[in-house]
Amino acid sequence: MAGDSPPDPARVVSLELEASLVKKPQVYLVLDPPRRALEVRSRGHVLDVITLAGIEVVTQQPLLGAGTPPVVPVPAIWTVKSGPGDTDREIIAPDSLRPMPKEGEEEEEASPTPAPPGPTPTATPVPEPPASYRAQLDTGWDLWVCEALPASGFWPRLTAAVRDGWARLRGGGEDLPPALALAMSSDDAKRIHHLLRVGMPILVVAGAS
Amino acid sequence: MSSDGHILLVPTPPPRPPRPSRWKLVLAILVVVLALLVAGSTLVVARVGRPLDSSPLVTAAAVSDESFEPEKLRRRATVAAAALDKVRPRGTIIVVDTFRNRLRLYKDGELLRVAVCSTGTGRVLRDPRTGRQWVFDTPMGERQIINKRKNPVWAKPDWAFIEEGYLPPPRDSEERFDDVSLGDYGIYMPEGYIIHGTLFKTLLGRRVTHGCVRLGDEDLEFVYKNVPIGSRVYLY
Repeated sequence: MAGDSPPDPARVVSLELEASLVKKPQVYLVLDPPRRALEVRSRGHVLDVITLAGIEVVTQQPLLGAGTPPVVPVPAIWTVKSGPGDTDREIIAPDSLRPMPKEGEEEEEASPTPAPPGPTPTATPVPEPPASYRAQLDTGWDLWVCEALPASGFWPRLTAAVRDGWARLRGGGEDLPPALALAMSSDDAKRIHHLLRVGMPILVVAGAS
Repeated sequence: MSSDGHILLVPTPPPRPPRPSRWKLVLAILVVVLALLVAGSTLVVARVGRPLDSSPLVTAAAVSDESFEPEKLRRRATVAAAALDKVRPRGTIIVVDTFRNRLRLYKDGELLRVAVCSTGTGRVLRDPRTGRQWVFDTPMGERQIINKRKNPVWAKPDWAFIEEGYLPPPRDSEERFDDVSLGDYGIYMPEGYIIHGTLFKTLLGRRVTHGCVRLGDEDLEFVYKNVPIGSRVYLY
């Protein structure tokens, strides 16, 4: 920011927004559209960086006469209202609880091989997170993490329009809010899945860094 | 032959072109009608549909250049940068990547060690009696090392019994205390989260814990000896 030229106002506001985030010991995401980067930070420290293959605004539009895409005001802090990191959890619950066997007492169903003491590790592996999912933001938008952005061009859109139209005629179909789609590798998408939980702040920065 | 002996050539009519059979014509009309019907209904269905349309991100500055004086801007930037610098981690820090299950130890920005660890499963355990729930997440964000202990003893919480299908014993029961599971060292963070050893070494590198961070013996010893109390831990 030093030098004679005045600092970029958007950059200054981005800094101020981040300064407000680092007051808490939380993890937050920083989306930098010009750099095509999504960073995981805490207290201003970059913990991880994800390179994005693309950032696009995705809206549902009629096949003909599509409107103008919405404009995203930045810099801004968005907050995850509902995320896959919360909703895709596996729940385990024993049907009933039995008393602990006393010392020297053996349970009827003794395991054939004695297990080492201590907390038993998870018997089944944790399910692999998906590579494409949506998180709801407090702005009314969705954050859509995907491997590939929806195909553009007339024929793919026609196919999608027919598929969606047919679903709507049969009483189905879904009205989706506008989404900011972040295209990234499958591994990266899985990697940030658990970070998209309720309350996760996402700072969208602007201006030259 | 004519009367004067010439041969008269009677012109024969040219062969008529073969008439298209009626069924072929009907078929052609049917194909055209069918094609029109399909195209029409496709367009009608397509008009009902709302396909996803992607467009480049257009951002609008939430600030305008006119509303800021350069001098004020510089001052604001300095204040914000100072606020960030004040909380930026320094000295010895631990960074835990809970997806890749890697623990990294830094001292003054230099990477001292990368260790394979195990972190929380993210599963939810429900008590069938009360409906109480525990989420087995390794916490996210900044934590601080508040204590370190050699040969730590684990005071088992209720979930450790409920998960096994047992009724939790009283708080002071001997069954609550376990001096084996945590390994040789315990490095304590608030809210009961510990960086400790494990008996299940083959599961290192996987999400298998109830929220604690497990390390192999050598890595645990290295971290124990190199991390002073008060050091910051960043988990994500």
